[in-house]
Amino acid sequence: MSKNLMSSSDEIPKLSKDLCNRLLQDLERAKRPVLYATKCSLDNAIYNHKVGFFTPGSKKVATELNVSSVKKMSRAIFMLEILLRNLDTGAVNTKRELYYISKGEIKHNPDLKPLDFADQDESDEIIDFICELLECYREELNCYANDRGGQTYSQQLVVTETLPDGDKAVVDLSKLGTSPFQPKNRPQNLKLSAKKKIDFCLIVESEGTANTLVANGFTKRHNSILMGAGGVPSNAVRGWCKLIQDQLRVPLYFYGDLDAYTMQNIFRTLKAGSASSLIRNEDFSAPEVRFLGVLPEDIKKYDLNDYPVKENDAQEVRALKKASDAMKNDPFFLDKKNKGLTQILKWLLEHKRRCEQQAYFTVDPRDPTMPEKIIVEKIKRGDYV
Amino acid sequence: MDMAKKSQPKKSAPATKAKASDKKAAAPKATKTKESAEESAAIQQAKSSSSSKKGITTSSTAEYFSKNLQQVGFSSQVKAVLTTLKEAVDNSLDACEENGILPEVTVTVEKVGPGSLKNSDQVRIRVEDNGPGIDPEDVPKVFGEYLASSKFGRGRCSRGQQGIGISAATTWAQLTSAVGARVVTKTEKMRKAVRCIVEVDIKNNTGVLKEKDSVDWEKPHGTSVEFLIDGRIQLNGEAGLISYLNGTTLVNPHLTLHYKLPEMELHTVERVSNTVPEIPSAVEPHPHTMKLGEFIAHSHLFGRVKVGAWLKKGFSRVHEGTLKELNAAGIKNGIFEKLVDSLHESEFKELFMAIQNIPLMAPSTKSVLSIGEDAMAKSIKRLGAIDFFSVVSRKPTICDFKPVQIEVAVARLEDRSIEADAPVQVLRFANRVPLQFDKSACAIVHAIQSVNWRAYGLGQPKESLPQGPYIIAVSVVSPFIRFKNASKETIDGSDELVEEIRRALIQSGQRLSKHIRKEVKANELEEKLRHIEQFCPILVAGLARITKASDSRRKKAEDGIAKLLGRDARDTEKELKAAHDVLEEQTAKASQKNSKKAAEAEVEA
Repeated sequence: MSKNLMSSSDEIPKLSKDLCNRLLQDLERAKRPVLYATKCSLDNAIYNHKVGFFTPGSKKVATELNVSSVKKMSRAIFMLEILLRNLDTGAVNTKRELYYISKGEIKHNPDLKPLDFADQDESDEIIDFICELLECYREELNCYANDRGGQTYSQQLVVTETLPDGDKAVVDLSKLGTSPFQPKNRPQNLKLSAKKKIDFCLIVESEGTANTLVANGFTKRHNSILMGAGGVPSNAVRGWCKLIQDQLRVPLYFYGDLDAYTMQNIFRTLKAGSASSLIRNEDFSAPEVRFLGVLPEDIKKYDLNDYPVKENDAQEVRALKKASDAMKNDPFFLDKKNKGLTQILKWLLEHKRRCEQQAYFTVDPRDPTMPEKIIVEKIKRGDYV
Repeated sequence: MDMAKKSQPKKSAPATKAKASDKKAAAPKATKTKESAEESAAIQQAKSSSSSKKGITTSSTAEYFSKNLQQVGFSSQVKAVLTTLKEAVDNSLDACEENGILPEVTVTVEKVGPGSLKNSDQVRIRVEDNGPGIDPEDVPKVFGEYLASSKFGRGRCSRGQQGIGISAATTWAQLTSAVGARVVTKTEKMRKAVRCIVEVDIKNNTGVLKEKDSVDWEKPHGTSVEFLIDGRIQLNGEAGLISYLNGTTLVNPHLTLHYKLPEMELHTVERVSNTVPEIPSAVEPHPHTMKLGEFIAHSHLFGRVKVGAWLKKGFSRVHEGTLKELNAAGIKNGIFEKLVDSLHESEFKELFMAIQNIPLMAPSTKSVLSIGEDAMAKSIKRLGAIDFFSVVSRKPTICDFKPVQIEVAVARLEDRSIEADAPVQVLRFANRVPLQFDKSACAIVHAIQSVNWRAYGLGQPKESLPQGPYIIAVSVVSPFIRFKNASKETIDGSDELVEEIRRALIQSGQRLSKHIRKEVKANELEEKLRHIEQFCPILVAGLARITKASDSRRKKAEDGIAKLLGRDARDTEKELKAAHDVLEEQTAKASQKNSKKAAEAEVEA
């Protein structure tokens, strides 16, 4: 489905109609309809370094229409109707708004009372179920989340957006001063161009640090794109990175903390997607992104301040546990091509220490551009994984 | 002036005496009733022998208890009311049963005015029964003398044992209201009833009669006892009077109870069984229930008889076959021929140890008094509207050397006003007396918590009581129950006893689960039918709108889905029928068992 992303406004209604038609035909024949959805979990995730991201295996989850599932099925068809109407008119909504829209529909049509959602969790589950059935992204159904992260700075990048009414909006990032450009909703609708050759794109884990680098003149001195990821990358950030990779063909580097959480939850998701989003990884991962640092060897080289993982830090302890599992069963870390990354994970497990991205500021406390210098030097030397 | 007043009591009480009683008061509170009784008896004995010794004085049993009423159930004002009522009702029921009378008891509890103690009310408690009545000569002993009992150490399953409770109630009334027990009693032989006030002469441990006269009483026989005490009335909750009365009716199916409590109408609970429980007959001791010392002491009762004859006559469940088994286990035949008074201690020990290793029949059912599944089933319906229930009466067995019988009833109440996650109501009984305090320490509660009730369809947080609108009633009947304290509030649990209770609960849970399963299936079916009715038209209409299908297609699909889901509903119907059949089978089996038991009882009679 993802291949047809750009033309999904036509594709989704057709797919939906086909699905409904099939259901109706089965019912006419008093035959039990069975719906299949892709199983989105690690045991159905395939990783091939030539492809670069997690792709779904052959496992499917079957939903059969029976007395127990008829309620869920009826709710799904009801919600699908609302979403198809949105696609038709071009209207967009968040999940919470869709919950209230469904409430309103039921209020105006008392026959639908049995479908009523008790809370948003129930309607969210139905929206996700529809996505699984149609094998599409929520965004393709005009249902957007308020995506965080992705604040981007550049003196060379120009973004052109085609609006639903056909108008075009052109954003020259060099004209924004210290304000960032932030991709929203469907970055796939954007066209990117460069006023001058861009040498690289740097993705910084902390948006704050990204802002500091820009304020100290990073983008003025280097022909680059600088982006703050804002923790675990949202769909918008993931799609945006993929767009930069594909449309501008510039090398991408990730600069973040040296710990198990960053490696697995942030960097791996950015590079290869996640198991829970198997059907969307193709458009939501940038396999060419490289891990610039902090690398374990940087600690010694630059005499960085690192410290042991706190026993009572639940998130870190969990991440370490997950890391030891990942070494055994995560196809990404099992792949030989990613040996360097697996080595880092192994180092983290062995030493149980962590080092933060801001530690570069200790190298020369009186020189605010020191981190910038280290980053550029590492890129030049090829000191990344 | 004040100083003089304060010092007066000190002067009047001899210093040595005060010291002695202080020493008694400091005795551990948690001694068992039996021990307290023995202690008191020892005190009395010591009184006569050691009065000449300087510095050591003795006090009467009554004096000991009057200073330590908290040990026998008068530790708070709420408990004082409940304990007084309990002791009076226990005595009535015991008296009726011993004389083969179907008990009819009338209980009145009312507030009279403010009490003399701080924050207390003056409460009148009257219990009237249709029992045999008390011989006027015995009245002071029954109500005014400690350790005067017709039941002490008999090894029977009576409610009262030592003869402490009712005298303690009289003492409490005397201490707080300055009036003892008002008694009216009439035996069958008497033309007029005797009316009097009984008080405890605390110094001498004897009962004293006051204002004695004869009155007309319409009853052919019976006793009425009235206490005016300080206390506080608690009606509801686990420690409330209602819970006590409900519990008492549950385990006494043959009891008709009338009660009038404050702010309530007169309430009558009719009896559901017309059989007076058969009084456990005196049986010879069971060898497995004895310790070596008791075994040897038992031989002294028989004088010069042969060991073989002594074993067969002096013990229950020992017969010729047992002697052969003993022989096979290494006891020489010569020993059986020896005279019992010539047996050496080591020979006693050898014999005793051998007999402990031989499997004997369980002690006779006659020594424990069971309520019976049938009677419990009828009785449980008196607790209120009930959806369904299960009762289990275990066979008597030995726990901790004592015969014991466990009976369990679990019922689900129709009343849904109780919160779904509130713990179940637990009713605990020891020799058919409700236990209402210190629940968490009781062996019964430990046993309930150890059962996995989730398997039977009840909610249960980890290591806690199950939840829901259920009542779990557990009755422990034994001639010798180990209580944790003299006020008989909690049963001390050995692993053996807890395991035995647990087994009864598991059986009962299994029977109950069949009811719950049937109900779950019925709900499932109802929900499925409702689903078909509600969602089929909506689903088909939605599909038809999206595909812009014609009306005829829609109609056809509606028929199709109804057919399809109707099949599912029929499957559930089948499951419901199967669950129903299982339940029917269980009920049939139970009634068959009960009628068989009844027939056996008739033959025995």
